Amino acid sequence: MKNRILIVDDSFYMRTMLKNMLTDAGYEVVGEAANGQQALEMAAQTTPDLITLDVILPDNTGLDVLKGIRQDQPDVKVVMCSAVGQEVIVNEALESGATAYIVKPFSEEKVLEIVGSALQGSDSTEA
Amino acid sequence: MKSREQEYREIFMAEALEYYDAMSRHISELERNPTDEAALNELFRLMHNLKSNSRAMGYTQIGEAAHHMETIFGLIRSKEMTFTGLVVPVLFRGVDTIGEMIRAVGEGAELPDISQLITNLDRLVQGEEPILEDDSDEDDEDANRKLELSDLVYIQIKKLDHLLNLVGELIIDRDRVLTLSREIGNPALATAAAHFSRIADELQYSVMDARLVNVGSLLNKFPRVVRDVATAEKKDVELTIVGEDIQIDRNILQIITDALLHLVRNAVGHGLETPADRLAAGKSAQGHLTLSAQTQRDEVLLQVVDDGRGINVGNVRRKAIERGLVSQEVAANLDDDAVRAFLFEPGFSMAKEVTEISGRGVGLDVVKLAIDSLGGQLRVDSVLGEGTTFTLVLPTSIAVKGALLFELDARSYAIPLMHTDSVVSLQPTDFHVVGGLLMSRVQDENVPVVPLRNLLHNGDGPLPPAVKGELTGRQDIIIVNYSNRKLGLIVDRFLRQQDIVIKPMSKPLDTIDLFGGVTLLGSGQVCLVLDVPALTRLFLAKRP
Repeated sequence: MKNRILIVDDSFYMRTMLKNMLTDAGYEVVGEAANGQQALEMAAQTTPDLITLDVILPDNTGLDVLKGIRQDQPDVKVVMCSAVGQEVIVNEALESGATAYIVKPFSEEKVLEIVGSALQGSDSTEA
Repeated sequence: MKSREQEYREIFMAEALEYYDAMSRHISELERNPTDEAALNELFRLMHNLKSNSRAMGYTQIGEAAHHMETIFGLIRSKEMTFTGLVVPVLFRGVDTIGEMIRAVGEGAELPDISQLITNLDRLVQGEEPILEDDSDEDDEDANRKLELSDLVYIQIKKLDHLLNLVGELIIDRDRVLTLSREIGNPALATAAAHFSRIADELQYSVMDARLVNVGSLLNKFPRVVRDVATAEKKDVELTIVGEDIQIDRNILQIITDALLHLVRNAVGHGLETPADRLAAGKSAQGHLTLSAQTQRDEVLLQVVDDGRGINVGNVRRKAIERGLVSQEVAANLDDDAVRAFLFEPGFSMAKEVTEISGRGVGLDVVKLAIDSLGGQLRVDSVLGEGTTFTLVLPTSIAVKGALLFELDARSYAIPLMHTDSVVSLQPTDFHVVGGLLMSRVQDENVPVVPLRNLLHNGDGPLPPAVKGELTGRQDIIIVNYSNRKLGLIVDRFLRQQDIVIKPMSKPLDTIDLFGGVTLLGSGQVCLVLDVPALTRLFLAKRP
């Protein structure tokens, strides 16, 4: 079965790029959220296998969203999307339960590699 | 691939200009209230997004400027700096420069020099005074600054659907107005009506055009599907995609997505042989699959072509007789096209015999239903041992369909052109009777012909056997085509060809499945639209 992914990013451009990369690679993108509130709602609604989560969002920081999602869905894999210079936030995110992180601007290979191995982790722990 | 680059560029530009507008707004808010945290957070976020997006697009200069600006807004946010004094003009200048760069990228022009801006931003970070030029002439420039809006809007398909429905209504009124103006015969009214009609036509095509997307947006998803199925089935498949630029209505593409997926999976899973089988059959080890799109008149042809084992017509014929779909006697006379059409019958599967013959037919009825719902056509051609081609004939647009209008018993009917093969007028001597059925030779093919009146008004019983000599005079016949089967319908009189808007029938008439809906003619008359698939099925069930 296809792995189901929710994309959270406030930039339509970034969402489009990520969505194309992921669907081309055979993943099912179950939703795109542009802010923290949408992200929490859609995560609850769609129960994805993995969420790509932008660090900076309009209403909430990505960290708050991460913590919110973790409370309801401890098993979902969360890949943080950050830019250079946000190492502090990334570290905090990893401590708060993020599975992995990608640094923008990212290449398709890198995204697929990180998403793939994040999901792989899920398979091996579930098996 | 190039079109995707283009798509990214357009989205980048639209969003960057949006960001620029928001930055201008927020920095003005910040000037009024230097502690406005919401404005500050937004400026930081927008700079951050612009930086990431610009770098991803390879616009390093915009990325560089946005990065430096983001740093300063970050410092102000963490209270290490305040939005006062010389910081204010430098940051305003920075936002303006970013706007200029975005516009320059959009126009393909040379980017402005940003070295001074970067130097000043660096000096601010290090707590040094920025070097400000005398910008008295820049004030002029600022005052004359043009306001730029994005060239691109995103629109929900729902809104376009609504627009298309309204256009459909308008087309009906257009015909009504034209008819009235002819009846009234006032020259001024005629001119106005003609003008109105031209505008309505143009509006119709513009709205239809706004809904078009490249077929490539669907076809380009298939390399991955083919790879996965091929790997699972241990096949070696080379996929070729042709005609990605062909355009089609977005909703049509949506509706056929599953159907196409099904056909491609079938082609790889059942149509193409394993490398060993192919070599044994004297073929290349690698199977070939082609997905192609082309336009033909107002229709889009999508084809799934494989060079696999093909469909064994003999086996399909046997299976159809076994399942009681057709009598042995009739089956013997059916040509290959008509036999292959049984593959589209509900539940008709060759899957159990997959080891001995092709496993085509798995759920093909579902594919057929999807295509029928669009008023499209599904055809299958195959040469045993050489391969199979599935052809989807699709309308480019949903709402307006070309139709042939005809008269029967003083009533008007319409039949979609999609299902109309040809129209012929024949003399009684052109017919012969075979097994109680009228047959005629049309374009080198034997086509069964039936008076439409008998089909529509004959109750539940079978059709009365045809008798030679019951027909007198010239007969107007519409040859319809559905599922590789041709059928001639005798009508009273052909009227004309016309674009119609099909509206669903209201209750309780919606249960009469011989009619796909109704349309209103310019005269205000209601005209029933015949559903050719249903009509063909009825004919097959009632044939003598």
